[in-house]
Amino acid sequence: MKILVAVKQVAALDEDFSIRDDGRGVDPDFLIRDLNEWDDFSLEEAVKIKEAATEPVEVVVVSVGSDEVDESLRKCLAKGADRAIRVWDSAIEGSDSIAVARVLAATVQREAPDMLFAGVQSSDQSFASTGIATAGFLGWPHAAVVSNLTLAAGTKSAVFRRELEGGLLHEVEIQCPAVLTIQLGINTPRYASLRSIKQASAKPIEVLSLADIALGAADVGEAGSLSRVRRMYVPDMGRAQLIEGSAAQQAARLAEIIREFKGAAA
Amino acid sequence: MSRTDAVTRILFEAFTAAEVRLFYLLGYAAIAVFLYGAYVQIRKYRRGAALKLEGSIPARLGAMFSSVLSHRTIDRRDPAAGGAHRLIFYGFLLLFAGTATITLEYDILEPLFGIRFWHGEFYLVFSLVLDVAGVALIAGLMFMMYRRGWMHLPKLDYARPDRVPGDPDFNRPQYRREDWAFLWILVIIACTGYVLEAARLVWLHARADIWDTRWWSPVGALLAQGMRAMGLGADGAGLLRHGLWWFHGLIALVLIALIPYTKVKHIFTAAASLMVRDPLAAQRLPRVPESQEQAGAAKITDFNWKQLLNLDACTKCGRCHEACPARAVGAPLSPRDVILSLREFAHATLESGAIPAAAELDIHGKAPGQVAMETLWSCRTCMACVEICPVAVEHVPIIVQMRRKLVEEGAMDPLLTKTLQTIHKTGNSFGESKRKRGAWSKGLPFPVKDARKEPVDVLWFVGDYASFEPRNQKVSQVFASLLQEAGVDFGILYDGESNAGNDVRRVGEEGLYEVLATANVNALSGANFKSVVTTDPHSFNTIRNEYPDFGGKYEIEHYTTLAKRLFAEGRLKVTNPLKYRVTFHDPCHLGRFNKGYDAPRELLALLGCELIEMGRCKANSFCCGAGGGRIWVPDPVGAEKPAQNRMKEAAAIAGLEVYVVSCPKDLTMFEDALKTTGNEGKFVVKELIELIREAIPARSTEELPA
Repeated sequence: MKILVAVKQVAALDEDFSIRDDGRGVDPDFLIRDLNEWDDFSLEEAVKIKEAATEPVEVVVVSVGSDEVDESLRKCLAKGADRAIRVWDSAIEGSDSIAVARVLAATVQREAPDMLFAGVQSSDQSFASTGIATAGFLGWPHAAVVSNLTLAAGTKSAVFRRELEGGLLHEVEIQCPAVLTIQLGINTPRYASLRSIKQASAKPIEVLSLADIALGAADVGEAGSLSRVRRMYVPDMGRAQLIEGSAAQQAARLAEIIREFKGAAA
Repeated sequence: MSRTDAVTRILFEAFTAAEVRLFYLLGYAAIAVFLYGAYVQIRKYRRGAALKLEGSIPARLGAMFSSVLSHRTIDRRDPAAGGAHRLIFYGFLLLFAGTATITLEYDILEPLFGIRFWHGEFYLVFSLVLDVAGVALIAGLMFMMYRRGWMHLPKLDYARPDRVPGDPDFNRPQYRREDWAFLWILVIIACTGYVLEAARLVWLHARADIWDTRWWSPVGALLAQGMRAMGLGADGAGLLRHGLWWFHGLIALVLIALIPYTKVKHIFTAAASLMVRDPLAAQRLPRVPESQEQAGAAKITDFNWKQLLNLDACTKCGRCHEACPARAVGAPLSPRDVILSLREFAHATLESGAIPAAAELDIHGKAPGQVAMETLWSCRTCMACVEICPVAVEHVPIIVQMRRKLVEEGAMDPLLTKTLQTIHKTGNSFGESKRKRGAWSKGLPFPVKDARKEPVDVLWFVGDYASFEPRNQKVSQVFASLLQEAGVDFGILYDGESNAGNDVRRVGEEGLYEVLATANVNALSGANFKSVVTTDPHSFNTIRNEYPDFGGKYEIEHYTTLAKRLFAEGRLKVTNPLKYRVTFHDPCHLGRFNKGYDAPRELLALLGCELIEMGRCKANSFCCGAGGGRIWVPDPVGAEKPAQNRMKEAAAIAGLEVYVVSCPKDLTMFEDALKTTGNEGKFVVKELIELIREAIPARSTEELPA
């Protein structure tokens, strides 16, 4: 059995960032790169299936990006992925989630896995569309926001649960191959020690070009995208506000603000 | 020949040849059993990993003999036990030497070379010495029996904090039985020796050379007088002597035979352990060789031979148990029990002919002999156990090596996982941007030099807490202004500095430590400076003791010694003597780790403070609980924290005004504990730096940071 896990190296803002000259993104000097948080969970889910299996299961991580991404891929290898694939071509620069999904779908066709896992969304762009769009290109069954999964190696279907509004749980059976986007909290991702990351550098990272996956420059980048970022900016917003009312009201409002801020940060 | 010349030790007199042969046979058997046992033990140690010791063997022997003969390490914090052990040790040593010299003459020198010395005055003096030695031995043993039976010392209670009553290895009653058996066997040997001596005197009282010189064996002579007064005749005494001779001889042979199989082996293992002692055991943790497949200790055979020897050196004296801050607050850790568990494990697995399969050598877990992860994570690597151990057991590297394996498996508190990831990502434990590391200096009225860009005399390695934690940032600003006013040419590395890694290494994340140490060594080698100073004892320790292994050898000092020098040179002057009644908390990494006990105390005296020491101070200082990465993991809710335990100790000092610390983590831990123990308002927690500032008011208040 083979499980492909699509991962993304995301960017987080450093202190005192500034917007790029073209106004459409943040100056890369102020970005801290790391593996997307959701992808920790989807990779862990795949590795858990591998570890529980009696038959051989291959876990392959795939990412679209420049060689900066290798650091995150090595972390995935350290956590138990068998192989890593990175697809890159300068033409891919500027792709939206749909164009990236097209690249992923082409890679999936090359690898022919039994399952594709992706994170629900990326923490930097939050489109939550890459995984599902990949399923669209492949014509595979798909499900988003999976919070519990039962998949034994060798079986032709998987059973998963999704949390719905109102505390409802949705239990679904899906035929393999399928695309599942995995929600945070589905498992406890393991820690990749620095030593294991270092040792993982012995494992190969296969770099594919567009030609390797039978795509052309027109399929990716802005040409292959369905959307285009117009601008990125920090809205003008008053930072201070006076909370009025009784002590209890003030405390309640304060708690509310803290919850808002915590929610915004997550 | 004069009468005293003739007198000699009565050995096999009145024995048949068969009896003598039997005794020799038994003697050889005892030695054979001893040798086989010793072989099994040595084979066990050799099954551990290889280790090459540093230092010369004569120096190691010298250090060992000095510790053993002076009993210095046994006297510490328990002079009564030290004194009693000294009586037993020297008593036993002399009596053993006496017996050994008899063998030397009777079995070697006389038959081979015809040399005899065991007679006349030499014999008489020796017999007096041995009689006194016997008294010393019995007196020491009596005190030890009283101590075990009636003093109810908590450190001699074998109940384990990491087990619950009902567990098979909860309080190990077999240890108690062994302790008593050891004491009794020695008492019996010593007492029967005296009775035997007395019976011999009575038996041979007709021989003038023996009877007239009897007072050279005062205890035996006294007993002999008593026996005779009670009407014991020569024949009866001869019979008694014959029977006791065999009893005394056999029990002594049994003791010799049993040495390698019982706690008696500490005679050898403790001495050997002292000989291989590493004076920097906790200060400089071992590196993981690049070629080693797995970091840390998973199997008992992952420990090196010296560590396996350490396990056998433990005499269960309980001093580490008593000193451990985790144990003191009820955490499931006693350093003693970690050592004893592993010892039992090594005993069960490594003493038979073949080593069991790898799966049976796993030392992690909850079965008897295994060590649970909760136990390992309770350790604060404060070194209290290593420091007090009289036989040089090195607990901290053992615990950290076991943690390394847990880290590889990710078997740790999720918050710790998060912190390690944060440190990897940002180079600091606060998850702050690298760029903000020097931001605290922006509040100063003068710029702090960037040591990466211009040469400085003193490079200040600031460390995470002093850089990012708001309360400690204020202290950093004060220290910077003091340096500035004293005219010290100093600078910092700004975002070139990373977390020093001391605590990361003690967590057991060796790979991350290597990354941090290498990054800092690279940053330091890019700067031009004469010496390094830091206000953080944790950074101080690792830069001083561990960076040399990564190619970074620097002259580094803690700020307390630099400040002391600035006062001595007149560059800082006390203008406003403080009249506070203070107590001083020795940070583990400054005090125990690096023996920096004096400078802070001298500074306090200079400032005019009245220092009242806490009971646990200097080498016995009580950890604040933050070490070994525990500052990143919350302590269990409801249970007492080490810092709270310490605050209660300080609060008992009448009229205490300031609880002085000299470590950023201490400031954080104790200011919190001051509040949670309800002592807020009674006294305050302050950095020594802040007291110095108070004693040297700044030239104008505008110059001071807000």
